Amino acid sequence: MVEEQRSASASSASAGRPPAVSVRGLWKVYGPNPLSIVGSPDATLSRSELRAKTGCTAAVSDVSFDVAPGEVFVVMGLSGSGKSTLIRCLTRLVEPTAGEVFLDGEDISKATPQRLRELRRQHFSMVFQHFGLLPHRKVIDNIAYPLEINGMKKAERHARANEVIELVGLHGYSHAFPEQLSGGMQQRVGLARALAVDPQVLFLDEPFSALDPLIRRDMQQEVIRLHRELGKTMVFITHDLSEAVKVGDRIAIMRDGAVVQIGTPEELVALPIDDYVANFVRDIAKSHVLTLKYLARPAQSDEDMDGPELAANMIIRDAAEIILQTHKPVRVSENGKFLGIVSSEDVLRLISGVA
Amino acid sequence: MTHLKKSHLLIGVGLVWITLSRIFQGNQTLELATSENTSFTSSVGDAAASIRGNRTKSAAFIYFFNPIRAAITGFVEIIRSIISVPSGNSIIPVIGWFGVVAIVAFTVYATSRLRTAILAVSLLLACGALGMWQFTMDTLAMTLASVLLSLLVGIPVGIWAGRSDRVLKILTPFLDLAQILPTLVYLAPLALFFLIGTASATIATMVYSIPIAIRITAHAIRNLNQSPIEAALSMGSTPTQTLTKVQLPMAKQMIILGINQTVMAALSFVVIAALIGAPGLGKPVVDALIIRNVGQGFVAGFAVVFVAILLDRSTSAAAKAQESFIPLTSQQIRRGRIKVGLSGLLAIASIFASRSVLSLAVWPGSINISQQVEDVTNHATKWITTNLYIFTVGFKDFISNWVLNPLETLLAFSPWFVTLSAIVFIAAVIGGMRVAMLATGLLTLIVLSGLWHEAMITLTQTIVATLLTMAIGITLGIWVGRSSSAEKVLRPFLDAGQTLPAFVYLIPMLGLFGPTRFTAIATGIVYSIPVVVKIVSEGIRSVPIAMIEAATVAGSTVRQIITKVQLPAAKRSILLATNQGMIFVLAVVVIGGFVGSGGLGYLVILGGSKPEMQGKGLVAGFAILLLGVTIDRIAQASARRT
Ligand SMILES: Nc1ncnc2c1ncn2[C@@H]1O[C@H](COP(=O)(O)OP(=O)(O)OP(=O)(O)O)[C@@H](O)[C@H]1O
Ligand SMILES: [Mg+2]
Repeated sequence: MVEEQRSASASSASAGRPPAVSVRGLWKVYGPNPLSIVGSPDATLSRSELRAKTGCTAAVSDVSFDVAPGEVFVVMGLSGSGKSTLIRCLTRLVEPTAGEVFLDGEDISKATPQRLRELRRQHFSMVFQHFGLLPHRKVIDNIAYPLEINGMKKAERHARANEVIELVGLHGYSHAFPEQLSGGMQQRVGLARALAVDPQVLFLDEPFSALDPLIRRDMQQEVIRLHRELGKTMVFITHDLSEAVKVGDRIAIMRDGAVVQIGTPEELVALPIDDYVANFVRDIAKSHVLTLKYLARPAQSDEDMDGPELAANMIIRDAAEIILQTHKPVRVSENGKFLGIVSSEDVLRLISGVA
Repeated sequence: MTHLKKSHLLIGVGLVWITLSRIFQGNQTLELATSENTSFTSSVGDAAASIRGNRTKSAAFIYFFNPIRAAITGFVEIIRSIISVPSGNSIIPVIGWFGVVAIVAFTVYATSRLRTAILAVSLLLACGALGMWQFTMDTLAMTLASVLLSLLVGIPVGIWAGRSDRVLKILTPFLDLAQILPTLVYLAPLALFFLIGTASATIATMVYSIPIAIRITAHAIRNLNQSPIEAALSMGSTPTQTLTKVQLPMAKQMIILGINQTVMAALSFVVIAALIGAPGLGKPVVDALIIRNVGQGFVAGFAVVFVAILLDRSTSAAAKAQESFIPLTSQQIRRGRIKVGLSGLLAIASIFASRSVLSLAVWPGSINISQQVEDVTNHATKWITTNLYIFTVGFKDFISNWVLNPLETLLAFSPWFVTLSAIVFIAAVIGGMRVAMLATGLLTLIVLSGLWHEAMITLTQTIVATLLTMAIGITLGIWVGRSSSAEKVLRPFLDAGQTLPAFVYLIPMLGLFGPTRFTAIATGIVYSIPVVVKIVSEGIRSVPIAMIEAATVAGSTVRQIITKVQLPAAKRSILLATNQGMIFVLAVVVIGGFVGSGGLGYLVILGGSKPEMQGKGLVAGFAILLLGVTIDRIAQASARRT
């Protein structure tokens, strides 16, 4: 019913290219004899039952998804649902128990250690929740570290590091040490370090949860800007729903290691697959993510049909002012095709949460 | 419920034991006169003699032991010839005393700060003034040589064990054993293969201190904050890059702390290694102990203490200097460089002066206060023993009559099978079936060795000393754990207590209690209290504040909080402290063989000095090891089960 609008635009722009990240049947099981769990009937047990029966924890169970080039793919879920394990499997910081991960069509679960290092050095980088800065190095040498291990000369790598320092707004701090910086500044260093090698794909594990709200908003803007201006592909883990909605093209919701639903924010709000997802997205202001298409309904006999016409893909929040000012219902159409009408009562009901 | 049963069982075992002991007292005790050999000990003695006889013939000696001995002796002699003994046909070492003082001052100043350097220099001069310059230099040379060699092995292996679970798993049993092994046990077997002398002493010291270096280095690598390491891997670092650019710089401070521990371990061992011919301060200590001249012992003992403080302060100050990663401003760096440069020049000038001016080369004999120190300490000891007689001898007699003798009767003068069964039952109750079986095996081996009676004498002393240690240690531990001002007052003593070689504690105790069993026990107590207090106070302090607050809100008195909340919660730490305390006590009690404690320790020492007793001495050393492992396993198991 509701189409994937934002992701559709992202994937249409890159039609023909393989997905930037493609995950097929990925498992990570901790415990004795992990392979025996994969695909067995036990895998359908709940976490605690599985643990009681086999002593294993399925941190990631049978996850599959694609991320289009240039897309920001958000992963959400309660604490312990396996988000960090998933993102570490994508970069093979954790060895998956089973399944495949393709980066730009290359199966990285088969990469040799050399090839894996090459990919890590050039193709993707990671930003960590706890920053992972090297305490014994100055900011500039932290940022230059990935270039240094790549064999770049000192002058050259410092020049590049200074560029990214400007980019993340850390001008003047290049000779400070991590422990002299605030949490927010340290996370910028982490971001700068990830950007220094100009990777095509960025993996971000709750990058902003340690930051205060103001800095967080700045950093979110920064991510959106990177995405828009530099076209980076990102896999972004967060706990924060409004952050997910703000930066994400699509959101995957995880529970107990499995992906419950993947979709645009609009899809998740409009059609949550179960109560877990519904609960998760309950706090999103529906009017901020849904479009008029969601409200459009057939006109009743006593309603005016000569109100203004609005596009179906308009976000309700943006259309609200027009609808509330005209005293007639608006007509909603998609590509010239009439879908239905929306009255001011419909909008008010949605905003007040009755609908 | 099970708890009640446990204590009932223990009381039951005790009553049966006491009853049987009364009935059969004096029978089947396996007592053996000191100079008597069993067929087993004499065959060990023969084997040792044949090993010694083969020294020039067997391939193992020609191609393995002898070359190692030659290489290590050579290495130590080079260092000694620089600071301690005249080299070649000269009458002075390469660097005279003034030069050595200058080098120490410069090194300490460059790695930490002026105050520590001044302290170091004063301590060194004090050693000279005690008439101990040459011995001090020998001790420093031996320590330096052993530490260098130990670190050469210990740090790389420690790094390896820090990075590989397999390696750590293989090493752990050896590292654990090394922690239990009383120092005295190492000496004789090594002397058998490497002869009496510097090589044996250095190797024994290495065997003692390498495990410490390995343990701390591996710990340093393993306990790093993992997130920078993971980040480094995620950026494509090779294992070598991760090690050299991330792990080692981050672990640097901890590794330097490990060096500090290695140095202190090596020093305490070098002193004891005087028993197998190590040159240095241990020799005058041993001499004084043998002739029971407390004052003379104090002179050498003070020098040992000074060297210990000197090494501890300067290495731990160097570790402290690494605490922060934030460097100095460039101006501070420049000023620092100028200062270091100037003092370096001064040191070089001093070295040259010490090579050309005789009074700066050889410690002037006129500066010597050893006689005064000896007299003062002898007088003080005499005064104490005559005027505070009631306290020293009274306490000694009280413990001897009421604790030591009854326990000795029970352990050593019951039939051996009664004591053995009782110990096994106790092990089963507090440690479980597996430990009981292990204890059966180990104790049976002691019986077979023929030294059961002596082993029980040593065990008695160990138990009594441990009981007293725990009584004092837990009390102090609770105090230190609950009050931060108590911690501030006691901390320096606890730290110092842990760094001093056990040997030097014997001297004042000998003065107070004379050559008796009790001297060894008192030394064991004083030596092991610091570690017990440390572990107990940490346990008390780690009880969550919330628990104490909840108890306080519920209206508990301080006593109730201690007995009903803190002690039960810290039970594991207390059991661990008991284990550590017992191991420390055992190590000292056997050294007490020097001052009349008898038991296995005396046999080991006797074996070192009398050829016909060598076999018995070696077997006694092995029995000490068995006893230590038995104690450790039982204590560990009971700590695990709570
Ligand atoms: N090394 C490990 N060994 C055993 N179990 C593990 C390991 N790492 C993670 N787990 C388990 O896997 C599950 C998922 O953990 P993960 O860290 O991926 O969760 P998360 O979604 O990132 O949680 P959070 O939001 O708290 O960061 C948890 O139940 C955790 O206990
Ligand atoms: Mg996580």
